[in-house]
Amino acid sequence: MSENKPSIALFQCRWCLYAPSDQEWVDHHLPSNIHLTKSPCTGRINPLYLLNAIQGGADGIVISGCLPEQCHFKTGNMAARRQLDEFNDFLDYIGYDRNRVRFVWLDLQDRGIIQKELAAFEEQIVALGPVDDLAVRVKPVAGGANA
Amino acid sequence: MNLILEKQTLPALLRFWQEDHDVYLPQKLGQFSHFMPLQEQTDPLLGEPHNTRIPPKSLFLPMTETLVKYTKYGTYKEVDPEVESRIIFAIRPCDAQAVKLLDTVFEQERYTDPLWVERRNNTITIGLGCHEPCHNGFCTTVGYGPFNKTGLDALLTDLGDSYMVETLTEAGEKCFQHLTPASAQTEALVAEIQLNAYNSMEIAFPTVNLKEKLEQNFNSDYWKEISESCLSCGVCTFLCPTCFCFDIVDETQRYERVRNWDTCMFRVYSLEASGHNPRPTRVERTRQRISHKFVYWIDQVNQIGCTGCGRCVRYCPVGLDIRAMLRQVQQLPLEVSHAV
Amino acid sequence: MPDIEKIKAEAKRLLQEGVVDVVVAFKAGDTPLHPQPAFFRSPEEIDNLVYGSLCQNNLATFLTRMPKQSKLGMVVRGCENRSVNALVVEGQKLRENLYLIGVPCEGIVDWRKIVNQVGEAVLNVREEADLVMVETRQGQATFNKKELLHESCLRCIHPTPISADILIGEALPEGDPNLARTAVEEFESLPREERFAWFQQEAERCIRCYACREACPMCYCEECFVDHTNPRWTESGATPAGMQAWHIVRAFHQAGRCTSCGACERACPMDIKMTYLTEKLNHDIRSKYNFEAGMDAQTQPPFATVTLDDKNRFTV
Repeated sequence: MSENKPSIALFQCRWCLYAPSDQEWVDHHLPSNIHLTKSPCTGRINPLYLLNAIQGGADGIVISGCLPEQCHFKTGNMAARRQLDEFNDFLDYIGYDRNRVRFVWLDLQDRGIIQKELAAFEEQIVALGPVDDLAVRVKPVAGGANA
Repeated sequence: MNLILEKQTLPALLRFWQEDHDVYLPQKLGQFSHFMPLQEQTDPLLGEPHNTRIPPKSLFLPMTETLVKYTKYGTYKEVDPEVESRIIFAIRPCDAQAVKLLDTVFEQERYTDPLWVERRNNTITIGLGCHEPCHNGFCTTVGYGPFNKTGLDALLTDLGDSYMVETLTEAGEKCFQHLTPASAQTEALVAEIQLNAYNSMEIAFPTVNLKEKLEQNFNSDYWKEISESCLSCGVCTFLCPTCFCFDIVDETQRYERVRNWDTCMFRVYSLEASGHNPRPTRVERTRQRISHKFVYWIDQVNQIGCTGCGRCVRYCPVGLDIRAMLRQVQQLPLEVSHAV
Repeated sequence: MPDIEKIKAEAKRLLQEGVVDVVVAFKAGDTPLHPQPAFFRSPEEIDNLVYGSLCQNNLATFLTRMPKQSKLGMVVRGCENRSVNALVVEGQKLRENLYLIGVPCEGIVDWRKIVNQVGEAVLNVREEADLVMVETRQGQATFNKKELLHESCLRCIHPTPISADILIGEALPEGDPNLARTAVEEFESLPREERFAWFQQEAERCIRCYACREACPMCYCEECFVDHTNPRWTESGATPAGMQAWHIVRAFHQAGRCTSCGACERACPMDIKMTYLTEKLNHDIRSKYNFEAGMDAQTQPPFATVTLDDKNRFTV
């Protein structure tokens, strides 16, 4: 974390934010400590994305997708569920707190949920503190060559 | 000079060295020994009847090493390894000989690896000979031995409660000042111990005409047979003290160019950008590994590229034994006109 | 101990009658502690076939290294049979191109346990009933086989091959599934910091030799994820992030496919423990999806299936 703001990775399926205002908020008004990766479907999210985010310095991860039976690709979100849920369990087993990964399954009728979820999640991550276990790749220093 | 070092004074000597150098010696790591820096709670492991698991080449060619740090704007900076003066204590003769062999790779007339050279120039090697040679080693077969002195600044012989120290260079002498000289009796005893150790080792495979047989039988079906159980992992190469292959890769997510140990046993090692692979199967790769050590090394520097440390024999997951493989090679035909 | 002569007789018959092109089994190694995987192509060669507790490799790993169309005979123990089934499920071989000589297994001896006690100068190893007699340069030592078994074998649930074409020897009773479960639960009950400390301690010895990957029958990808440069998933060197990622992801890729054979751990030159990772995944797959890898040659593993029936399984 830097300046008390945790670094959060958001993996969003591009269909789950049905309301234009929600998608527009995520596209243009996302707080600077939240890093967005859009994928065509949560089914595309390989557990390696999560690990890559953690090793890149993420203190928490949010995965946002659609409810069952609402997936644009019919069952993509179902494919995601088993793998990502088990991966989260597995990371917890080796000591990486499971509460650092949150799944947000959105109803197409939902409005304004994503902002609330992200805010609540950020509070939770601040309470958990910075990640003190899984190794992070050395972070590049912004600007000139690394000292 | 030949000196006596009482074992009970060793800890004090190590700490004395530590004032000016980083001291590396075999210590317990899990179930085995590994060269690690001397620290407060060091638990030296010197009495093992064989060498460390990982060869000390790792102290000169690290398993992973950053070469260049760069930015996405194109600026870059080479990393300065900042090597402190070091003493490696209790390195085995096979490993010390191997480091000397690697000098022929990293310190050539035309090309020099500055990182290797800096580490070599700042390191003093104190060897520990093997008075009870290990079961799986075959150093005498490849022309060396359990008390071989090449590449060492001093060589220790275990006498029970003490070591006899043979200093071989000025640097070695400086490390062992204020010690009592060894008596003529002790020197004679040590000579006997060393000779007995050497003679106790069996010749694992004949080396006469080995190179020629390997060259001439390049297309033999033998390679198909012997490689079939090979898993094509990296155990033999990574634990080998004379293997030096490395991979240079850009770790783009942290903006560093890194050098890592690599192995010819992986399929992707020789995979070219076009998709062509000159060593597509384990047949070619196993043949390559054996030929590199016993043919190409000789072609290039006139020395066998193996020091008989025994690690590949001990840790191959499928039990492949290079000694047996070479005995089998010696059964292959040889055209008399090419014989030495 | 199974009747080795019966194993050999069956293997010879397979070759003589042309049922298979090659029989995959073990032969005596060049060192007593390490019998080698062997590929017999003629009945005469079968005289060299051996079978014993020191045969530590899972032979199914060679299945994907041989031509897909070839007819293979293989001497398999419980876990190997299941690995073969799992490979058939994944389309790596047609079952009709395989002839499995099943041998109920009493466990694989971890050679390290012998060396740790008597040193490496082993001249001869002999097995008789429950005993293992070891002759070294320094003398003799006799062990109870049970104290030398590899950890995975102590937790084994299915020692008897379940779908061999012929079974040599009496079927052994199934193991206690609670042994695997309690091992996982014991680890899970440790505080978070301790769990991570253990994981880190084991992972940091890794030298990225990939012996674990090559020894595993289920790791047969033409291009492993660690060899990808674009995208660059994990660091390929022996760095903390790289080593941890390697252990986490390799284990995870076995979820629903691993048969707990332990070949990975036995192959590791740095004595790294890693079955505690795959055991957790195997346990979860058993308890959540009631699935065990390789129990038949048809059922797809849970991560290969997508079903709307899951809709009530996961809450937010």
